[in-house]
Amino acid sequence: MASISQTAALPHPRSRAGSGAWLTIREAFWIALEALRAHKLRSFLTLLGVVIATTTLIVVMSLINGMNLYIADHIANLGANVFVVHQFQWAQSFEDYLKARRRNKPIRIEEFEYLRDNLKDYRNIGAQADTQNIDSSARYQDHSVFDVDIVGATPNMIDIGEEKVASGRYITDPDYQHESMVCFIGQDLVDAFFPSVDPLDKEILVNGIPFRVVGVAEKIGTTFGASQDNFVEIPLTTYRKFFSARPSLLVNVQAWDAEQMIMLEDETRALLRARRHVPYREDDNFGINASDTLMETWHQITGAVFGVTIGIVAVFMVVGGIVIMNIMLASVTERTHEIGIRKSLGARRRDILAQFVIESSVLAGVGGGLGVLLALMVSQAVNLIVGPGFFNSSIPVSAVLVGLVLSTSVGLFFGIYPASQAAKLDPIEALRTEN
Amino acid sequence: MPPAGVIIKADDLWKTYDMGAAIQVHALSGVSFSVDRGEYVAIMGPSGSGKSTLMNLIGCLDSPTRGTYWLNGQMVSELSDDELAYIRNKEIGFVFQTFNLLSRASALHNVELPLIYSGMPAKERLERAGEALRKVDLADRMHHKPNELSGGQRQRVAIARALVNNPSIILADEPTGNLDSATGEDIMELFARLHEVGNTILLVTHEHDIAAHAHRIIHVRDGRIERDERISDE
Repeated sequence: MASISQTAALPHPRSRAGSGAWLTIREAFWIALEALRAHKLRSFLTLLGVVIATTTLIVVMSLINGMNLYIADHIANLGANVFVVHQFQWAQSFEDYLKARRRNKPIRIEEFEYLRDNLKDYRNIGAQADTQNIDSSARYQDHSVFDVDIVGATPNMIDIGEEKVASGRYITDPDYQHESMVCFIGQDLVDAFFPSVDPLDKEILVNGIPFRVVGVAEKIGTTFGASQDNFVEIPLTTYRKFFSARPSLLVNVQAWDAEQMIMLEDETRALLRARRHVPYREDDNFGINASDTLMETWHQITGAVFGVTIGIVAVFMVVGGIVIMNIMLASVTERTHEIGIRKSLGARRRDILAQFVIESSVLAGVGGGLGVLLALMVSQAVNLIVGPGFFNSSIPVSAVLVGLVLSTSVGLFFGIYPASQAAKLDPIEALRTEN
Repeated sequence: MPPAGVIIKADDLWKTYDMGAAIQVHALSGVSFSVDRGEYVAIMGPSGSGKSTLMNLIGCLDSPTRGTYWLNGQMVSELSDDELAYIRNKEIGFVFQTFNLLSRASALHNVELPLIYSGMPAKERLERAGEALRKVDLADRMHHKPNELSGGQRQRVAIARALVNNPSIILADEPTGNLDSATGEDIMELFARLHEVGNTILLVTHEHDIAAHAHRIIHVRDGRIERDERISDE
């Protein structure tokens, strides 16, 4: 038996070593994890609210994030310093869109020519018309492709738009002037018609009309799951002859640089308003669409979605927090005797307070962690179901951090009341409680 | 301030409970006594005598309504909750009838607890807790939980926990009350050994056989000290 020494009168510093608080926190973590392990099902049920809230928050944040990237990559990318004059503004509320469709006259070929001749300084101006792939088809020998986007274009669209020539050539000025029966096709048609043959100089039927393939476009990819490579481009003049004499045009204006683009937009607006006799106080009866205005509108829409999400998440979090508070109050009652023991051994009020606040924070933090995992699974599932061509909804790190910090704070906040109840317990009463 | 050799000095301690309607119950009515360093004292009395109240005061779990109480040179009768917690941590080692161990924690962690609240670094803490368990011959049971230990072993864990902070007094409340008589004797032997090496021990009990192990018996009845007898070493 080792000797037991008795220290003589100890010095009595009033405050403890600075490391004391930290040690208590570590002890509290240990207790919290132990409590979680001891009551797995109860903890899980308790945390459901926080889990759902965190999952919702992260899924919506990552969807919006993914769509933002997507919009920036695919839709809003009109090419460098290009804006499009069209019948209406693209990104707007559905009511406004319907109204604009009713009220606004399409941009006609005369207006394109007017702009081409009257705008003072631009790099390029081209026009496109398309069938919007309604009832359109393309055929080669026994193979058919449906819902083909038939586009009539001016020859300079290759310099303005995003398409690039993979082989052959684009539509040329002579094609345009002579209303040639030539076409420039997308990769989907190459895959369907010419998997092992050179497509150049082959004759395909577009809505039953024969066209000679003069060029093939590089693959573009998909937007919202829809292929962007399922198209046939022909000279705008030929398009007018066979598909629509007076098509609604998309006039693509390319400026020299971003700064000049703003002036060019204003000039275009002024010219068109004057030509269309729009009164001073009335809105444009046409749309000028540029990447930045598209993005701006997009952000307004997602902002609204995000606002609603914040509301829902807040409700979930408060409900989840109250459930946590309830279970912590039960836990304090259950562990009154333990609190008595700890107090008899020298735990101060703040030690007990810290223990229970940390326990509820860890509890909620674990809920947040589960929410993150669930969100990961949901986004994986979305990608699996909708396909990788849809927005690559990678979960942003910021969303994970916000989810974890938010859930932990909820636990902290709703743990304060039960913890203060525990801290206030009288050691004698607490020790006397049996459980 | 009491002289240096005096570890406990209680002067006219009163503990009064207001029961409403101007009815007052005096659990203690003017208790005065002192204990020197190294003494082995039993506090005896039947239930309702006020000995539990006295033990709570000595153990700094409670404050007296009136009177002064000095513990190891400090007046502790007028301290706040947290200051009392600090005194309990530094000066007092509790041993309870029902052991009062944390059931989910190992023996080692139970013994470690007072050191956690005194803010000792982990390495030193584990060393000290292990050493305390060795002193009560439980070195081979460190990682067992209380429900894996016998009653006597549990009480020895509790004694190790009481020793680990080198307290001024060990305050044992019916330490053999939940044990069979043979195990109880073992525990009393352990207390005797602890006393031999210089620990001050206060034993609260209602059993004569147990109190007989002490060298001094303070008899409490009706909130007063009835008799304070010294037993010469056999």
